[in-house]
Amino acid sequence: MSEAEIMPGAVHAAALEPSPYGIQSKKLTMWLFIISDAVTFGAVLYGYAYLRAGTPNWPTPFHFSPSIVNGLIMTFVLLSSSLTMLAAVAAAKQGRKSSSLTWLGATILLGIIFAALHLREWFHLFQDGWSLSKNPLGGSVAFGATFFSITGLHLLHVISGVIALIVIAIGYNTNWLDSGHVETTGLYWHFVDLVWMFVFPLLYLMNVAR
Amino acid sequence: MTQAKHEPGMTGYVGIWFGLLCIVGIEVFLTFESLSTHQLLASLLVLAFIEAGIGLLYFMHLKYERPSLFWSLVPAVVFVLLMMNHIWPDAYRVASMKLPIQ
Repeated sequence: MSEAEIMPGAVHAAALEPSPYGIQSKKLTMWLFIISDAVTFGAVLYGYAYLRAGTPNWPTPFHFSPSIVNGLIMTFVLLSSSLTMLAAVAAAKQGRKSSSLTWLGATILLGIIFAALHLREWFHLFQDGWSLSKNPLGGSVAFGATFFSITGLHLLHVISGVIALIVIAIGYNTNWLDSGHVETTGLYWHFVDLVWMFVFPLLYLMNVAR
Repeated sequence: MTQAKHEPGMTGYVGIWFGLLCIVGIEVFLTFESLSTHQLLASLLVLAFIEAGIGLLYFMHLKYERPSLFWSLVPAVVFVLLMMNHIWPDAYRVASMKLPIQ
């Protein structure tokens, strides 16, 4: 017997109960996911930062050009994608579907550019002899392990975000999903951008040869 | 459900986006100054937290949600991160631990 058959009144009351935070349940769920993911990134970045600060022979393989320039372009692309995402959400809230879809397309494109730049950076490092357990410069091998793990985790979030945005754009275009879904996915996308604000300085700028 | 009327609008968001880019520029500038590793790490972390705060409040609209949402989410995350900071240094002690030789 289903719960609705046992306590129909309770189920209806629960369905009509207002949200304690004044937001849709899908948005609250996304917030709960974001804080748990923030703690995951917090743990790996703490681990990295302590290792980085406590290892005297830590390698510093990056130079202003091309690594930091590439990182700056990636930062510009990701920050700009947050702006296009905001435009997509604003248009969706105002019911301007075609404008929202255009901005969603721009966000997806910028996400793909970011991922491509990131993979290009990785392949250059592989060509230079870096890997999860190899360090061609000598010194600690933990650099490769931490760099590829943390940037890989972030890249996985970007690729997942691009896939989610494509699904949301298709669903929104076919009226299967609404503006609330666009807004909720936007939250996730901004979070991915926010994490990069820690990854770029800690993993790139802290490892510049000076 | 959200209080959309208080949100800054696209012009305001472009200003915030530009401000975030400026902070990234400051981070790169500091990287090439003669700071020690610990000074650079502390400076970059402070700037990253400022960026994250701006992103959280404006891009993620937390400033325009009910205060109850902020107070339910943010203190819990800050507490967990502070506890991590409290516990992680213990890893240094583990590195220097030795088993007693019989």
